Amino acid sequence: MASPKDSRWQFGSGNMERLLSEVAAHKGESLWQDAWRRLRRNRAAFYSLVFLILFGVTSYLAPLLPIASPMALTLQEEPQPPSWPWDNTNLETSPGARATGTVGSVLNNGWRHRSVVMFTSEGGVLDSVEAELSEMVEEVSGRTTAVNRIEAKAGKPAQLFFAIPNRRDDTPRTDWADTGNTGEVTFLRAEDKAWLVLDLPIDETLFNSWSTVVSGYDGSIYFGTEAGDDAGIRFRFRLSERFAGTVVGLTLNGRALSADGSINDLELAEPVIAPLEWDGAEKEGDTPEVPAALASIADAPIEEPTADILAKFGKDEFLLLRGSELEEDTRVVVQSGASDRTLFVRTRVDAFEQQGTFHNDLKRQIGTALQGLSLSDGATASLLDVEIENGYWELGTIDQAMLSARAAMFGLWQTGNWMGTDSKGRDIFARIVWGSRTSLLVALIATLCSLIIGVTYGAFSGYIGGKTDNAMMRFVDILYSLPFIFVVIFLITLMNEYKVELEDNFGVEREQVFYLVIGAIYWLTMARVVRGQVLSLKNSEFIEAAKVLGASTPRILFVHLVPNVLSIVIVYLTLTIPAVMLFEAFLSFLGLGIEPPKVSWGTLAVDGTEAINPLKIFWWLVFFPAMAMGSTLLALNILGDGLRDALDPKLRGKD
Amino acid sequence: MLRFLLRRLMWFAITLFCVVTISFFMMRSVRGGPFDGERALDPAIERNIKARYHLDWSLPKQYFQYIGPLNLDEHRAELFGGDGAKPFGGVLTLEFGPSFKYKDFTVDQIISQSLPISALLGMVAMMWALALGVSAGIASALKRGSRLDLAMRIAATGGIALPNFVIAGFLIIFFVFMLPLLPVAGWGSVKHMLLPGFALGAPYAAYIARLTRTGMLEVLSQDHIRTAHAKGLAPKTVIMRHALKGGLLPVVSYLGPAIAGVLTGSLVIEKIFKIPGLGTHFINSALNRDYTLAMGVTILFTVLIYSMNMIVDLAYTMLDPRIDLEDM
Repeated sequence: MASPKDSRWQFGSGNMERLLSEVAAHKGESLWQDAWRRLRRNRAAFYSLVFLILFGVTSYLAPLLPIASPMALTLQEEPQPPSWPWDNTNLETSPGARATGTVGSVLNNGWRHRSVVMFTSEGGVLDSVEAELSEMVEEVSGRTTAVNRIEAKAGKPAQLFFAIPNRRDDTPRTDWADTGNTGEVTFLRAEDKAWLVLDLPIDETLFNSWSTVVSGYDGSIYFGTEAGDDAGIRFRFRLSERFAGTVVGLTLNGRALSADGSINDLELAEPVIAPLEWDGAEKEGDTPEVPAALASIADAPIEEPTADILAKFGKDEFLLLRGSELEEDTRVVVQSGASDRTLFVRTRVDAFEQQGTFHNDLKRQIGTALQGLSLSDGATASLLDVEIENGYWELGTIDQAMLSARAAMFGLWQTGNWMGTDSKGRDIFARIVWGSRTSLLVALIATLCSLIIGVTYGAFSGYIGGKTDNAMMRFVDILYSLPFIFVVIFLITLMNEYKVELEDNFGVEREQVFYLVIGAIYWLTMARVVRGQVLSLKNSEFIEAAKVLGASTPRILFVHLVPNVLSIVIVYLTLTIPAVMLFEAFLSFLGLGIEPPKVSWGTLAVDGTEAINPLKIFWWLVFFPAMAMGSTLLALNILGDGLRDALDPKLRGKD
Repeated sequence: MLRFLLRRLMWFAITLFCVVTISFFMMRSVRGGPFDGERALDPAIERNIKARYHLDWSLPKQYFQYIGPLNLDEHRAELFGGDGAKPFGGVLTLEFGPSFKYKDFTVDQIISQSLPISALLGMVAMMWALALGVSAGIASALKRGSRLDLAMRIAATGGIALPNFVIAGFLIIFFVFMLPLLPVAGWGSVKHMLLPGFALGAPYAAYIARLTRTGMLEVLSQDHIRTAHAKGLAPKTVIMRHALKGGLLPVVSYLGPAIAGVLTGSLVIEKIFKIPGLGTHFINSALNRDYTLAMGVTILFTVLIYSMNMIVDLAYTMLDPRIDLEDM
C-alpha cells in the first residue's frame, strides 16, 4: 500500500526529470517514425532501399567515376568479352609513362574531349621514332600524351597514335568572331565564266585551302588551315546567287588560287585574270560613276527586263546585278574594251575568325613542327590526321564540373572493360551506369509529373464532390479505357514532326517532351487513390475545424488533406516508378524514346538483342544490362511492398 | 445486367468518339506527312495522291468520310446523287481507308492479315501465363513455407521485375543457340509460337502466380474449406471444387489488365521474333508516318481492350455472387 510518504509523490527536482523522461519514452511515435522502424525490421525492403540509394548515387556520379566513355566508338570486329577491371593496358597512369595496347583502346579512352594525332612512319626503329614524335607532340601541345601504335606489317607502314587530353578551358566548340578586318572581293565576269579577285588582309601562307559557300545572296569565302573545318578565317559578303557555279578562278592579293580549293597548288586551269583595274584613288563612300545604262537596270523591274537591257547585257548579267544591287557597298562598273561583256562587282567583306580553341590549331602546328624534325636512322613520318574526340554528348554544367573533377583526380586513368564491350567497342559498364542515369531520371521526372497532376486532380475532385467530382472522375474513366501505349506512340510520332521547331523556338528537347508525356499518363491511378482518401477524410472533425477557422479551399486541400494521404501516395509512387521505367525502356526499345548516342536501358536492350546471333553468343551484352535492370526493378518492387506494409495503419504498432 | 451493359456501351461510344475525333484532327493538322519526300513531287502526281486520300477535301468533309457511315466519295450513296456502287464507308462500317505507306493495301486488309497472328500470339501467351501462373500459385499455396514455395516466389518476383524483351533475349540464347531446339524467329508452326508466347506471358504468369497464392491462402483458411475437409472429401476435390473457385477471383479481375498488357507487350515481342503481327505494323506505321494505319490500329485496340474489360467484369460477377453489376 502506497503511503503518502511514497517517493512517487514527492516532487523533488530529480523526480521531475524522471517523470519527463518517462513521458518522453512513452510518447507515441509518429506515423513516420513507426513506418521507418518497421521498414528497417523488414530486411528485404531495407536492403532494397539501401541498394536503390547506392545505385542512384552511383549512376548520378557517373561523370566522376574513372570509367570509359559510354559513347566513344572503337573499330573492332566483334564485342569484346569482359576483362578484369585492373587489366587495362591501354592507359598511362603517370606523366611520361608509356602504355601499349590496341589501337581501339586509346581511341576508346575518350573520357573527355581529346585530340588524337595520327602518324604513319616508315623505316628506322619504331621505338626511337615513337620517342622522338612523342617529344615533339608534347612540346607542341604542352601536355602529356598517351601513345599507342601498330607495328608495320604486310607492306603497311607503322601507325602511331598520340592522345592529347584537352582541358576544360579548351572550348570544344568555337565561335566565329568578327576580327574587324575588312577586305574587298571583286567579281569578274566575262561570257559565262567568272573570276573572283580578292583583296584581303590575310597572310595566305597560313592557309592551305579555300572554299566558297553561297546561299541566296549571302556568300562566304573560307580559308582553312590543316586543322580542318573548325579553324580558319571566313569572309562574308553578299553577292549574286549566280556566283556559285560559274567561278573558275580566284586570285588572292594578286596570287592565283587553284580552282580545286587548294592554295599550295598554284597552277590554274583557266588563264589568270590580272587584278582588277580599279581606280585605286576611289575611296569608301564615294559614289561610283554608274553608267547610264546600268542605272536604268537598277531601277527597272527585275522580272521583266526590257529588250533594251537584254540587248546590252544579256540575262545573266542582269540577274547578277539584281543580287549585287542589294548591297550598299557594291560598286558596279562596266568595262568596255577587250571583252565587251565584262562586268565588275566589288563588295566589301568582313572577316570572321574562329577563336579560342586549342586543338583547332594543333594540326597546323604539329605539321609545321614535323617538317622541321629529322628522325634518327633515316626514318620518315607523316601526319595522317588530328581528330577531336568527344566522349560525351552535350552535358550540363554540373556534369561538366564532375568531369573536370574526375580529370583532376584520376587523370587519364580508367577501369578496364570489366563487363565487356559491345559491337561498336563501347564499354558495357559505362553504358549501364550512364543508361541507368537516364532511366532513373526519366522515372523520377515522369513520376513527379504524375504525382503533381494526380494528387491535385484527385484531391480537388474528392474535396469538391458532387457533380464536379462525378464529371472529373468520368473523364478519368474515359482515359482509363484508352490503350495508352498506342496513344502515346501516336502522339510521339506526331510530335516528331515538330522536333526541330520545339528545339529552336522553345529550347525543349524531344526527351523533355518525352518525360512529360509519360508523366502525363501515369496520374490516373494516383488521382483515384487520392480522391478515395480525401472522400473519407473530408468530413472529419479537423477539416470542419479548419473550415470554421476560415481556411480557404486550397489551404484545406494542401495543408490539411494532402499530408494525410501522403502515406498511400508514397506507396503508390514506389509502384509507379518501376512502371514508368519499364515504359521508358519499352519505348526506347522500339526506337521512339531516347535516341542514340544517348543511352538508356531500352537502347541497351536493343543492342543486346541485336547482338544475338547463332555463330557466337555474346552473353555479356544481354546479361549485365538485364541484371542492372532486373535488380533495380526488383528492389523497387520489394521496397514498394515493404512500404505498403510499413505505412499500413492497420499494422501500426505491430511487428 | 442489361442496364450495366447499356451504360458501359454508352461510355464506350463516347470514349471511342473522342479517340477518333481527337486523333483524326491531330493527324490532319500535323505538318508534313508520308508524302513529303526528299524530292518535290510533280504537281499532277501530288494532285492525284491528294485526290486518292481525299486530302483535297475540306476538313469536315474528310472527317465525315472517315467516320462514315455514308460514303461521300464519287461512288457515294444514291441518296446523294452517286451511283450507289459503294454507299457506305468509314470507321462506323469498319473501314479505315487506304494505308498511306503500303500503297496497294487498305488498313482493313493489313489488319485482317495481321490481327489473327497477334491474337494467336496473345492467346498462346495467356495460356502460358494461366497454366504456369495458376499451377505455380496453387502449388506454393498448398506447400506454404516450403522450399518449393520460396523458389516459386523468387521466380515470380524476378518475372515481374524483368521486362519481356530481356526475358526474350535469355530465352533465345538458351533455347535457340545453346540448345538448338526452337527456331529463332518467324511465324507459321507451333514451334514458332512457344518462345514468343512464353516471353510475352512470363511477367503475367508471375503476377498470376502471386495472386493465386494469396487468393488460395485466404480461401484455404476459411470455414467452408474446413467443413469440406471435415465431411471427408478427398483433398483434390476440396481444392478443385471448393477452394479454386474463390481463390481464382483475384486472377479473373486481373485478366482484363493482363490481356491489355499482353496486347501491348506484343509490340516488342513481335519486333524481336520478327512476327508479322499487328504490333509490327503499328510500330512501322508510327516510324513511317503512316497515320491512317496508326489510327486504325489505335482504334482497334481501344475496342479490343474495352470489350475485354467488359467481359472480365461480367465474368467476375458470375464467379462471385456477392458482387452486383449495378454497383460497377
